[in-house]
Amino acid sequence: MDLVYDLLREAIAPTTAAFALAAIGLNFHFGLTGLLNMGQAGFMLLGMYGYAIVVREGGPIWLGILTAIACAAVFALLLGWPTLKLRGDYLAIVTIAAAEMIRYLGRSQNLNSLTGASTGIRGSDFKDSFEMLSPFPDSQVTIWVWTFHGTRSTSWWLLLVGWALVALCLLMFWRLSKSPWGRVLKGIREDEDAVRSLGKNVYSYKMQALVIGGVIGALAGIVWSLGASVQPDSMGRPTTFWIWTLLLLGGAATIFGPVLGSILFWCSLVLVKGLASMLIPSSVLSPQQLEPFSLTLVGVTLMCLVIFRPQGILGDKKELAFND
Amino acid sequence: MTKRIDRRVLMRALIVLVVAAVAAILVAGVGSTALAATGDATTTVTSSTLHADADPAGVEVTDAELTSEDSGSGTNRVAQNVFNGLVFGLLLALASVGLSLIYGTTGLSNFAHGEQVSLGAMLCYFFATQQPVSIPLTPWSFVIGWPLWLAAIAAIAVAGLSGWLQDRFLWSKLRKRGVKIVQQMIVSIGLSLALLNLLQWWIGPDRVRVSIAIEERHQIGPIMLGNTTAMSIGISIAVLLGVAYFLLRTRLGRATRAVSDNPALASASGIKVDGIIRLVWIMATSLAALGGILMALYDSGTKFDVGAKLLLLMFAAVTLGGLGQPFGALVGSLVIGVVVETSTLWLGPDLKYATALGILILVLLVRPQGILGRAERVG
Repeated sequence: MDLVYDLLREAIAPTTAAFALAAIGLNFHFGLTGLLNMGQAGFMLLGMYGYAIVVREGGPIWLGILTAIACAAVFALLLGWPTLKLRGDYLAIVTIAAAEMIRYLGRSQNLNSLTGASTGIRGSDFKDSFEMLSPFPDSQVTIWVWTFHGTRSTSWWLLLVGWALVALCLLMFWRLSKSPWGRVLKGIREDEDAVRSLGKNVYSYKMQALVIGGVIGALAGIVWSLGASVQPDSMGRPTTFWIWTLLLLGGAATIFGPVLGSILFWCSLVLVKGLASMLIPSSVLSPQQLEPFSLTLVGVTLMCLVIFRPQGILGDKKELAFND
Repeated sequence: MTKRIDRRVLMRALIVLVVAAVAAILVAGVGSTALAATGDATTTVTSSTLHADADPAGVEVTDAELTSEDSGSGTNRVAQNVFNGLVFGLLLALASVGLSLIYGTTGLSNFAHGEQVSLGAMLCYFFATQQPVSIPLTPWSFVIGWPLWLAAIAAIAVAGLSGWLQDRFLWSKLRKRGVKIVQQMIVSIGLSLALLNLLQWWIGPDRVRVSIAIEERHQIGPIMLGNTTAMSIGISIAVLLGVAYFLLRTRLGRATRAVSDNPALASASGIKVDGIIRLVWIMATSLAALGGILMALYDSGTKFDVGAKLLLLMFAAVTLGGLGQPFGALVGSLVIGVVVETSTLWLGPDLKYATALGILILVLLVRPQGILGRAERVG
């Protein structure tokens, strides 16, 4: 019964919301425009640094969020400028390298006073002003089967804000993908040269998609950091790969794909770990081996998904973003 | 590729290498005079933090520490770092030549290549260590404890086998199904994620040592050189020369370059393209494993994610040299190695990989086809 409770808890946890948000951002890049952004974790990390540092230094919340958005937008512009004219796999290599560079810089001793090097920024340094706004009581609150704290860390307040942001971004994705602007992006995904021949500035459209998706990634980073803390090593390459896995699982270029993918991804991780610890004796699979074991399965899932069902659960086979 | 172009291309590579080395030495020379006073202070700080988060089993020896110790006994830090960079570049070249060959023949940017490097190092540890080891999902543990040379050969053989298996059961099937390159690239990302975690599950998250012998170090001119390092240099130069001979002089090597140039044309002129690609996969994975083993000896320790850290350096090297050009990968690796090691003279050692990634982005800005690549539209 504990396992069922854990699953229900994981399905709405702030991490799930944060990864759904990040995947919506990636959906703008990959699903809509066909850009291979392999550095979404870098956008998330920038967002959480921007927010946490401004708030820690005594800035108001709105300034923190604006800083996070500005950081992500500038990063997207810098990244897009040399690479959006290149072929897809070059873009993948550059984005992954740039995201890793952000992480190396963040954990560098030289920037210790700003970013806290490899230990990062503790949650208590920047969460207070957000938690003060909470309308929920300062104690454990149970609604139906879920029990969360009212205001602290993984709280009802953060859940409300996180999922509201997800809903807002979904609405935005839905309206934008149906707009003339979105149709141009889909055209770029299908055949860049055809769109160029219609007189559209492909480079500028790609750049806009990159910036919007990156900004949503930064917001995801803020939600994630409010549920945990700012830790550069938690936003390495595996995080980007998880976001890809859950986007492809739910279905790229679909509206609800990222959300469904995120919920399924995190729930199945909990399920695999729970079942494995119940069914496999610990002499064969020790508790500290559970994590790599389940993540090995994630890698295999990603391979199988891309080979056998690239459109994911909700996707349409005709609307595939895999183009060379 | 005719012989004439080869020579021109090699000349160009040599010039770039010399210019890069001279520039690095000049900058380092300027930087080190200013740094000399503060150098010792910063290195002790970084070494103490490194020791603080080093796991109990592992012995973390960074180049920064080595050079700061050495500077007392009259060695030249700049020369030592450039030399370390060349050694690191040679070892990196072993891995990146394979990456480049795979890209050349199949067009795939193989993101799982870093894990092939770790796989080699981990297999070597698995065969050589005196500690009890086990295979995942089996309850038995046992000690193999082979001598290092035997363990290394076995590890390279198993890694080569993994390359054969991959191509036989995964990549050749995907090519036959006509799966697009981008899709194949994401498959390789999935494979890298799976392999990385499999290795962590198998060997554990701690730093391990392939050989417990302590390296003897001699002073030669302005640099310190250990026995094992000297042997690693010898092995890697010999192997790289062997690869060069294979590519330039043998029939199979010519066929490989033909496939790399134009698969359809190669197939039409009677070359078995699938066989060549399988050979390339076996070669690439074995070379990567050798690189991983030598790297583990050079760093006196290794970890399940060592290759994941090197992957982007390999991409930087391969892009710098020109995607798909095996000799470009060699030159690119040497340049990246020298830059990474000399950058520790004026940047913290924790930023040394970041400089390589900076180079990668700069190269794509200025010359996307790399040093040796032909100018073609890549957009």
